[in-house]
Amino acid sequence: MNGWTGQFLRVNLTDRTHRVESFSEEFADTWIGGRGFAVKILYDELAPGIDPLGPDNKLVVAVGPISGIPAPNTGKTIVAAKSPATGGYGDGNLGTRVTDQLRKAGYDALIVEGRAERPTMLVIEDDRVSFESAEEVWGKGTIATNDWIYSRFDKGAGVLNIGQGGENMVNFAVVRSFEGRSGGRPGMGAVMGSKLLKAIVVKGTKPIPQAFPAAMKTLGRDDLREVHKIDKEAAWSVQGTTGVLPWCNEVAALPVHNFRGTSHPDAWMVDGERVHAARVATYGCPNCTMRCGIAVLDDEGREAEVDYENIGLLGPNLDLYDLPQVGALNYLCDDYGLDTISAGGVLGFYADAIERGATPGEPLFGDAAAFKKLLGLIAHRDGGIGNLLADGVLRAARAFGHGSEDYAMHVKGLEISAYNCKFIPGMALAFGVSPIGAHHKESWIITYEVNQTPREGYGRDKAQKIVDLQRIRGGLFESLITCRFPWVEVGWGVEHYPVYFNTITGKEWKLEDFWPISDRIYALIKLFWLREYPDTDRSADYPPAAWFDPANADTEGPIAGRILERDKYDGLLQHYYDIRGYDTRGVPTRATLESLGLDAEASAAEAYATIR
Amino acid sequence: MKITLKLVGGFVHTVGFSQKELDVEPGTTVADILASIAIDLGRPMIIARNGHGVQPDEVVQEGDRILVSPIFSGG
Repeated sequence: MNGWTGQFLRVNLTDRTHRVESFSEEFADTWIGGRGFAVKILYDELAPGIDPLGPDNKLVVAVGPISGIPAPNTGKTIVAAKSPATGGYGDGNLGTRVTDQLRKAGYDALIVEGRAERPTMLVIEDDRVSFESAEEVWGKGTIATNDWIYSRFDKGAGVLNIGQGGENMVNFAVVRSFEGRSGGRPGMGAVMGSKLLKAIVVKGTKPIPQAFPAAMKTLGRDDLREVHKIDKEAAWSVQGTTGVLPWCNEVAALPVHNFRGTSHPDAWMVDGERVHAARVATYGCPNCTMRCGIAVLDDEGREAEVDYENIGLLGPNLDLYDLPQVGALNYLCDDYGLDTISAGGVLGFYADAIERGATPGEPLFGDAAAFKKLLGLIAHRDGGIGNLLADGVLRAARAFGHGSEDYAMHVKGLEISAYNCKFIPGMALAFGVSPIGAHHKESWIITYEVNQTPREGYGRDKAQKIVDLQRIRGGLFESLITCRFPWVEVGWGVEHYPVYFNTITGKEWKLEDFWPISDRIYALIKLFWLREYPDTDRSADYPPAAWFDPANADTEGPIAGRILERDKYDGLLQHYYDIRGYDTRGVPTRATLESLGLDAEASAAEAYATIR
Repeated sequence: MKITLKLVGGFVHTVGFSQKELDVEPGTTVADILASIAIDLGRPMIIARNGHGVQPDEVVQEGDRILVSPIFSGG
C-alpha cells in the first residue's frame, strides 16, 4: 500500500503498553486519514456517555496520505477525542513536525488510552516507545516545557505538549506544538491533561511509502516555489490573517464588546497594518511558504504570535485596542495552553454578565490587567470564578442565570470565532452546523456571502455553498491532511490536491471522488453526537439568541436595525438538512447513511437513538 | 466628485497606500478605480461600498467609501 504506512500505534498509559496495528487499503480508501481516521476510531471504540476527562476517553493523533510530504503546506496533524467542552466529537489541526515524524516512525495515527500514574512524556522513536517522567515540567507553561524537551531532543523531533490549562482540564485547553501552533479547541489539551500526559515526542527514520517518490519530489518542490511566488505577488504573508480585521470592521462583522457591537472606530489600532509595523519575528509550520505566524512584542516585551481570531476576540471583543496589551493576553493563552478564541469569548461573556448585573463584580471591559489576572485564574482553575469560567460560557451562563444564556456566544458549548453574524445568515448557519461546535474553519462563507449574495438572503444557494465548503475544507483538507490557506488565501487550485494524492498513492482519483468521503465523515460525526445526545433536535444547530434579538440590532452603520430572523434561519437550516439528506432533527436518514456505506454504524447508533 | 478608497491586507503593500481620497468623474465604476491604481481584477478580492458588497461594474456615487480586500479565510 503506497501513501499510507498502513499502521496505527496504540499506547496505553495505564499499564504502559503499546502495540502496532495494521489497517487495510479498503479502510484507507474509505476514510483517507486525519479527521476520517479519527472519527472512525473514536466512534468504534468509545462507549457513549463516557467521561471525556476520564481514562475511557482516547486521544487520536492522526495524519493522512499527503501529510509531511514536501508540497504546499502539508505540515498539519489532527488531534481528536470526545470533547469535554461539548460532550460531542472534538478535533482540531495544528502545524507540527509530528506530522512527518509520525509517518517516518511508521504510523498514520497514534491512539492514546488510559491514564498515567504520574505526569508523563510519551516518546516514540520508530518502533521504540517509552514513558518518561514529566514531573519536572508539570505545572509549567508550554514555552518552558518546549525548552525542557528540546534540551533533551534534537530540533528535528516532533513535539506536542500542554500548559497549565491542559493540566487543570480547562474545557478549552489546546494542544501546542513547538512551532508555536495550537490545535484542538474543544478541549483536546484537557484530555491530554486528564491522562497526565504532558507531552508527546516523535522521531522517525523510515521512508514514507510513496508510489512515485521522484515525481512527488519534483512536483512538491515546484509547487512550493509556485505558491511562494503567488504569495509574494499578493503580499498575503505581509499581514497574514490579521489583514481581515479592517474588512470585518467595514462590513459590520467584528466582535465588539462580547459581540454586542459589529465595528469600532479604534479597530484600526489593532489591524494588519499595525501588526506588520510591529512585527519582530515570523513563524511558519513545516512545509509552508506562507508563514502566517507574525510575532509582535507584548506589553512586557515578550514575543506574542498574533492572528486575526486572537486579536478579534482578545481585542475588540474585550474593548481593548492596544496591540501590546492584546499581545499579552495572546501570549498568556499560548503559554497556559488555552484556546485564544474561547478565552476571548469567555472573558467577554464574563465582562458582559457583570455589566448587565447577572453576576457581581467590578467592570471589566477595557481592563487588560484584570483580564490577564483572570486568564491565570482560569488556567489554574483558581477560586470559584476561575473554576467556573474554565468550563466555558455555556456552563458559566447556566450558573449566572438572569438571562445570560442569551448572550453566551457559543454553539453546542464551543465559543464562536471572531465573526459577528447578527446579520450574516449564511455564516451564522456555518457556525450552527459546524461538526465540532462554533468554529470558522469548516465553512468560511462570510466573504462570499457579503460580497456575492444579498446579505439578507436565506436561500438554498447559501446552504449549498456551506456544504460545498465543508466538503473541501472540513472533508478533503482535514483528511488528507493539509492546510487550507494556499487554496483560500492565494487561490491555489483545489484540483492540485488529487494530483498529490494520486502521485503518492498510485491511485487515479478525481476530485469528485473525495466528496462522498467528506460526506461520510460528516455523517459519522453526526452519529457520534447523536449517541451522546439521543434526544437531539434542530435547536442544537442554532446560533445564540442574541443574534435573533431585535434589541441587539446595531443602531447605526451598514446593518442598522437588522438582525437574524428566526423563522427564516430555520428555513435556511432545513435547506442544509435537505441537501445533506438529514431528517428534521438534523440526523442523517437511514437512506443517506446506507448510501455512504454506513449501514453498520447506523445500526450501532440505533441502540441509543432513532434513525429515520 | 470625491470618494474614499480604502485598501486592505496585501493591497496596501502592492499598491503603496492604505487609504486615499480620490476625485473621480460621474459615471466612474469600481472597476475604473481599480484599474487606475493598477489592481488586477483577475486576482481574488472582495469589494465593499459603504459596508455592503459591490460588483466591479457598479457606478460609484459622491461620498462613497470603497474598500478593496484580498480574499481571506481567517486565522
